[in-house]
Order: sequence, then structure tokens, then C-alpha cells
Amino acid sequence: MLLKYIFKRILVMIPTLFVTSVLIFTVINLPEGDYFETMVAEMQAQGEKADMSRVEFLKKEYGFDKPPAERYFWWVTGLLRGDMGYSFEYQLPVRDIVGDRLLLTMIVSFFTIIFTWIVAFPIGIYSATHQYSWGDYGLTFLGMLGLAIPHFLLALIFLYFANIWFGTSIGGLVDPQYLNQPMSWAKFKSVLEHLWIPVIIIGAGGTAGMIRKLRANLLDELQKQYYVTARAKGLPPGKALRKYPLRMALNFFISDIGDILPSIVSGAEIVAIVLSLQTTGPLLIRALQSQDMYLAGSFLMFLSFLTVIGVLISDIALAILDPRIRLQGTATK
Amino acid sequence: MQIARRSFLLGTGAALVAPRLGFAGVETLIDSPALAAKVKAGELPPLAERLPTSPRLINVAAMGRAPGRHGGNIRMLMGDQRDIRMMTIYGYTRLVVYDEKLELASDLLESYEVERGRIFTLRLRPGHRWSDGHPFTAEDFRYWWEDVANNKRLSPGGPPQAMVIGGETAKFEILDPQTIRYSWSQPNPVFLPALAGAQPLYITMPAHYLKQFHQRYAGKEELEQKVKTTRVKDWGSLHERFSRQYRPENPDLPTLDPWRNTTPIPAEQFSFVRNPYFHRIDENGRQLPYVDTVTMTIGSAALIPAKTAAGDSDLQARYLRFEDYTFLKGAAKRMNFEVKLWKRAEGASFALMPNLNAIDPIWRDLNRDVRYRRALSLAINRRDINRVIYFGLAKESGNTALPESPLYDAALAQLTMTPDLAEANRLLDEIGLAKRDSERIRLFPDGRRLEFTIETAGASTEETDILDLIKQDFIAIGIKIHPRSSQLDVFRRRILAGQTIMSGWTGMDNALVAAEMEPDALAPTSPAQFNWPRWGQYFESGGREGEAPTIQEAKELVELYRGWRHSTTHEERRTIWQTMLKINAEQLFTIGVVNATLQPIVTAKALRNVPDNGLYSFEPGAFFGRYMPDTFWFEGK
Repeated sequence: MLLKYIFKRILVMIPTLFVTSVLIFTVINLPEGDYFETMVAEMQAQGEKADMSRVEFLKKEYGFDKPPAERYFWWVTGLLRGDMGYSFEYQLPVRDIVGDRLLLTMIVSFFTIIFTWIVAFPIGIYSATHQYSWGDYGLTFLGMLGLAIPHFLLALIFLYFANIWFGTSIGGLVDPQYLNQPMSWAKFKSVLEHLWIPVIIIGAGGTAGMIRKLRANLLDELQKQYYVTARAKGLPPGKALRKYPLRMALNFFISDIGDILPSIVSGAEIVAIVLSLQTTGPLLIRALQSQDMYLAGSFLMFLSFLTVIGVLISDIALAILDPRIRLQGTATK
Repeated sequence: MQIARRSFLLGTGAALVAPRLGFAGVETLIDSPALAAKVKAGELPPLAERLPTSPRLINVAAMGRAPGRHGGNIRMLMGDQRDIRMMTIYGYTRLVVYDEKLELASDLLESYEVERGRIFTLRLRPGHRWSDGHPFTAEDFRYWWEDVANNKRLSPGGPPQAMVIGGETAKFEILDPQTIRYSWSQPNPVFLPALAGAQPLYITMPAHYLKQFHQRYAGKEELEQKVKTTRVKDWGSLHERFSRQYRPENPDLPTLDPWRNTTPIPAEQFSFVRNPYFHRIDENGRQLPYVDTVTMTIGSAALIPAKTAAGDSDLQARYLRFEDYTFLKGAAKRMNFEVKLWKRAEGASFALMPNLNAIDPIWRDLNRDVRYRRALSLAINRRDINRVIYFGLAKESGNTALPESPLYDAALAQLTMTPDLAEANRLLDEIGLAKRDSERIRLFPDGRRLEFTIETAGASTEETDILDLIKQDFIAIGIKIHPRSSQLDVFRRRILAGQTIMSGWTGMDNALVAAEMEPDALAPTSPAQFNWPRWGQYFESGGREGEAPTIQEAKELVELYRGWRHSTTHEERRTIWQTMLKINAEQLFTIGVVNATLQPIVTAKALRNVPDNGLYSFEPGAFFGRYMPDTFWFEGK
């Protein structure tokens, strides 16, 4: 049964991704003009001259004289073959540019997620079990603060004080002398020294959400009969909590996996720009600004693909963990 | 310990001195210790063999600076990988360059001659070499001209514009391995300035290196293999990718610049090392540049002021703005750097651009009325703007040549610049806009209010601040404006389409003008001119797009510009320039507000020879380029 369910879900992915690709391509092409016109505008704004015959040459070189439908066709068939196209701005294949930054992005995202969990879990449980206490208010307030303060502002404040107090170089993930060097112990230490800033800042926003979700789910369960019975039969509070309501409250956690997968790869875009992280986020934003079509499009497609996969994984995991969901999704058992 | 080390350095220094009398008036040559080690190891020929027989002698002391010594690393911050072209700009090594007096002087060339403004004979320095040691000769010019500029695949549009006069391309001759000649049947005054540009016209390429990517020279199979491994379309893309000189992305491409790139893209940090074959020496016989390496770290542009304040840069101007000055100054002592203020060299840091090609006929006709433009100019209180926004440090002036330019005329710079509300009101009444509504806003004869939007590209809040002040000034003469900031792309497109009635932008990019420079900014020649975009488009496309100028003065400017393109003598060009500046000042096609605003320059305390006062502009001067960063050096250590 489960296999059939999975198979069906995979089939649905195909039209989903197709529609996404059409949307991405259309939206990127919606603004008038193209990469080359943007480039000419930027050059002229700095007093540099753009050789118009050269621009025509480049346009032809990259197939901009062809109708959009044809360009879309070439792009999509390229993607199917694993060819993500060519970035105009960097004048390199998209794969080389993104691949270069993927590792650092994943490191940052991984630590951020771990940080969020470590902070949010105890607070969520504590504030649910001690509802309306000072501790509940105080900790929730802290979490909300992280959500309410704009990330970029937090980032700037952190940068300034980290530099003044600890002498950490501003922005980036390593000290300048380790750039372009292969990974070494010293470089790894330098990464760790810089990593805590983005981790705390990006994590701060996610923490509040997670605290609230865990608290709400847990509060629902805490009032249910089975928990009251378990307590009445004399189970110690800690064990009763872990054994029953906490497990029930974790469903949201599994369904979040769908979102986690793409966010590991893209990282937090705005914070990454402020902190000057060499992650994929700033790359994507810059590509969208300059209408670097294939870089932006292929990367967005990659993210959509991961989202679809992530949702699939979380659905399957939920179906396995919580039999009720499967019963609703498919007919019988 | 310190002393011991220093004496050791002195010791090696003495050993490097290679006596060779009569070398461009220098008795001994001194190599950089970094390279001397390589010479000793046999990896590099000695300095005397690396220099041309007549190197370019830079008399550093005569420039009012201190001759320096070798060593050190300059750190710089950039916001974008494409910014590595700044090294080509800062290095400012060209066949000919603008010197301190804004006159053309030979740099890579030993000398050049111009006959009747149309025959250009260029003479190379014998023994000059590319950064890989291969001789730099007429062959490199021939390669570019025959195999690149006139190759259908590499230059589908033919040779660059500066080498085509009235449809006629240059005639190229090699007189001997060190002498080349370009000639036309008509004068070509743009040729030499193009060679000296901050973004120069390259007429030479390292043939010995690039032939391996060229269909005409490379083996077919070998070339196909290269096309495959670099994943490009064909040999043309391959050649184009490995031959970029302005943006030095290819570390293997030989160069003539003071420093050469050693880092392939993509990278977060680029290191540039000294070119061992660089052709300039100082009066003590030291090969330039003094500084051995330059590193350029790429990060977000928005963070550069903060990083600079944290002492992460030794020489920084790009991405710093005047508004960062106080912040930088505050950090200067703690982080051991200096902040200098240079003058920016635009004709106007901010100018109003009435769109003479606006679609709406009523606004278009009004914008084309010189009395209206004068009234606007007379209403602006430039003194207040200068004080409020620039602490009074800028200059209230029209959009015209700066005092440092040989073509400066104080009277033109101040024409219709002093506020005179009575005169402004009188002019507007005279146009027929005397009727006002209950808010005292003037009305057109058809009853519409004299109310419009002034658009900016939204690059900084400075522009909108200025417009807020101007708004008050215009209310006083019964005109209501709404400042609106947009985004560069949209901004340009709306102006060209005529949807924008008036915009705010910088004035002439280059106001350090000299008679030998092209006066294209003063006549409708390009669609990027926001006061007459469609007239400019008409000129640029040769009449295929846009529309022909209709105002007498604009037509005259086009004629004058054409006249300059065919001029042969300095006097002729000077007269044309002066007339064009005069027409522009009188007609106020652009309404300048302030100019000579200040640019903060951050330099490490130990970095010597960076002038305290300078002019910061892309063209001419290449930002730092005209001040020769190869003569900057580090004291101490």
C-alpha cells in the first residue's frame, strides 16, 4: 500500500516540476530587457562605455535572438541532462559557480538547524509544562525578540561588536588569509570562529516559531485523557511527558523536513548578503537583479526539486510514524 | 633582532645592484628582493635583461614625492568578482597615457608621431617584454589587427569604432619590428584618447600565447580538444574567454601591467604579483612597482565601509561615500589608517535633466523653452544644498568643466547659478504661466497644474535629500515637484521612452576636459544622455532609431561635434570645445546643482606617496591610475 502511495506521489512530482519551471522561466523573463541591457546600464552609470556591436555579438552568442519558447525548450532539456546552463555574469557554467559555494552553505545551514533545535526544544517543553509562568513569558519573550528584530539589523550589530570585542574580521566565513586555501585545521578553526554569528542570527528567527509550535501542540496533548490517566496511575511527570504527549506533538517536526531540505542549500539570503557570506543566497539574489537568467533559473529549479523531494520524504515519514495519516490518505488498511 | 634583519636586507640589496652605465640616465639598477631571489635561483634573467633598453624613467622626487623601496602587499576590498578590472584601471599602463597636466604622453610606447592628424606612427621600446618574458613587438599589433579585429568570427562588427572614420578602416603597416603605423585618409582625433582611456582601446594582444586558441594557427584536433575541455561553443568563444585584457580573469594571459593576476575565477580573493618585466624604473634605478603584491578580497559592497573601518584595506575609495567620512575618521586612529578627501571630477554631482524628448507635448515644449530652464536654475538655492548635504565642502556650479581643466571658464560655471526669484517668476510669467490656483501653483493655459515628478535611479538617499530641498525652492516660484526614486533599469527605460518629464543624475562624467578629449557628452550623441535620449539615439544609430534634433542649438552642437571629429589642430579643437561649453552653459540643457563633492580615500598609515589632494574620476585618470600606484610604497617593517 505504502509503495503504491509513494509511486503515485512521484508521478505527481512531474507535472509539479513542469509547472514550476514554466513559472520560473516566465517570471525571470517578465521584466523588460535582459542581462545585457542591465549590464550596459550599470557600465554607463560608472562612466564606462559599452561597445554596442559587442553586446549584439554576445546576445547572439547566447541565443537571445531566438523566441522565448525556444530558449525555454533548450533550458529545460539541458536541465534534464544535468546541464544547468551558463552564467553570463561570471562567464562560467552554472554548475561550477554553485558547486563552489554549496559546501559552505550546507555547513552554515546544518549548524543553524542544530542550534535552533537545541534552543527551541527545551524552551518549548518548559513553557508548555509551565504555562503562564514567569519562565514561560520570559523565554517566549526572548524567542519572539529573535523573530521581531530584523535579521540584517541583528547581523550588523553582531558584526560590529564581534570586531570590537573579539577582533573577528568583519563579514565572510574565514579570515582573509585563508581564502582560496584548501581546508586545513587552522582554516577550520577560523570558520568556527566566524560561524557562530550567522548561526545565532539566522537561528534566532527560527527558534521563536519552533517554540510556539511545540508549545501549542504539547498543550493540546497535555489536556488529553491518556496523559491524565498516565499521571493518575503514578507515572513520574518526566517519563509520562516523554512517553506520550511529546511524541504526539512531534508531527509538525517531521512535516518541517520538507522545508529544511531546500533551506539547507539556499541559506538565508539577506543575512548572507549583510554578513558577506560566500553562500549561495547572495549569488541567487544578485543573479535575479542582473537577470542572469540561467544562473537564477537553474538554481531556483534546483531548490524546487529539493522542496518536492523534501515534502515527499516528510510525507512518507509521517505515514510511517503516524498510522492515522495513512488511513486518511489512502482508503483502507 | 630588528637591526640584524635590516642589515641583512641591505646586504642582499647591495648584491642585487647590477652596474650598467648609461641606462636611461640611471647608473645602477635595483631589483626587488622578491625577484632577486628568483634570479639567483636561475628562474629569472637579471633585471638588466628584463627591462627594455630604454625603460620609462619616472622621476618620483620631481613629482613631489619620496622615492621608495620594494616590498609589501596592498590589500583592497571589492564588491564583485567583475571588479578585478579595477587592477587594470588602477595600474593605468597604456600605450599612451594622460600625464599630470592632462596631456597625452607615451608610456608603453617609446614615442609616437602624428602627421596631419591622420597618420599615426607608434614606436615600441626595444627589448620590451610581456610578463612571461616573450618580446613585445609589432607582431602583437599585427595579430590583433589581422586575426582579431578583422576576423569575422571574433569581431563580427569589424574593427572598433575609434578605428573607423566615415566607414573607412585604418590602414595598418609594420615599418620594422619596433614600429607600426596606422593611417586614414581623414583625421582621426579619437584614436589616441581611446588608447589612453581608463577603459582603453586594446590594439595589441600577446600573439605568442593566443595563437594556440586561434583557428588560423592552432592544430585542428588540439583546438577541438580545448573547446571540449573548457565546455564552450567553438574556437571563437574559447579565444574570447582566454584573451580578456580589461578584466584580467585568465592568470595565464601575459600582460604589460604593473601587477598580474595569479588567481583563476571563481574566487573570493585575488592575488596580483608584480610583473617582472614592467617597463618603468625610478630615478634610483629601482624597477617599479615598489609594492610586490596586491590582494583583492571580494565581499558584499554594503559591508566595505565597515570592513575598511576595521582596517581591512590599505587603499580604498571604491564603495566609500562621503556620508561614510565621519565614521571612517572615527575609526582611523584606532585602526591605524588615514582618510584623505579627494575631489570628484564630474561636471555636476547632481544635475536636473529636463527630458527634451518627453512624450507629453505640453511638457516637452515647456522643457524645450530655455526661459523655463533658466527659471528653474534661478530658483534653486544651491548654497543651502551645499551646506545641508555637503557641509559646505562642495562647489555650487553649473554642469561644466572644473577649475582644474584647461578649458575652465569661471563665468560659464556661474551663469544663471545665483538665485533670483523675481527674475525666475518674471520668466515664467513671460512664457504664459502667470495664472495660479488657490495653492499658488502655476497653471498651464489648458488648466493643468505645473506639477510633475522628478525621478532618480535610487542609488543613494543623497539624491532624494537634494530633491526635497529643491522642492521647497520650486514651490516659491509656483511649481510643485514630487521626488521619486526608482531602479536604474526602469529609470533608464522610462526616460528613453519619454515617460519621464525630468530626472536627477550626475552631470558630465568627465569634467577634467582638455581639447584633445572627445566632446561627446556636450552634444546629443548617445541614448544614455537623459536630457535628450532620443536625439542621442538618432545620432548613435545613424538615423535608424530615435528622432532628429529640432532645437537650433542642439543641431549646432551636433555639427560642432562632427567638426571636432574631423579637426586636425589643437587650436581648432580648443575653439570647438569652448563654443560647445558656452552653448551648454547658456542653454542649460542640464541644470547642474553642485560639483566637486568629496570622495574619501582610505590609506594605510605606512603607505607613502598617495597624494593628499587628488581628483577622483574614472575618465580621465582611471581613479588612482593617473597618480601611479606603482610609485606607492610601504614605510617601515
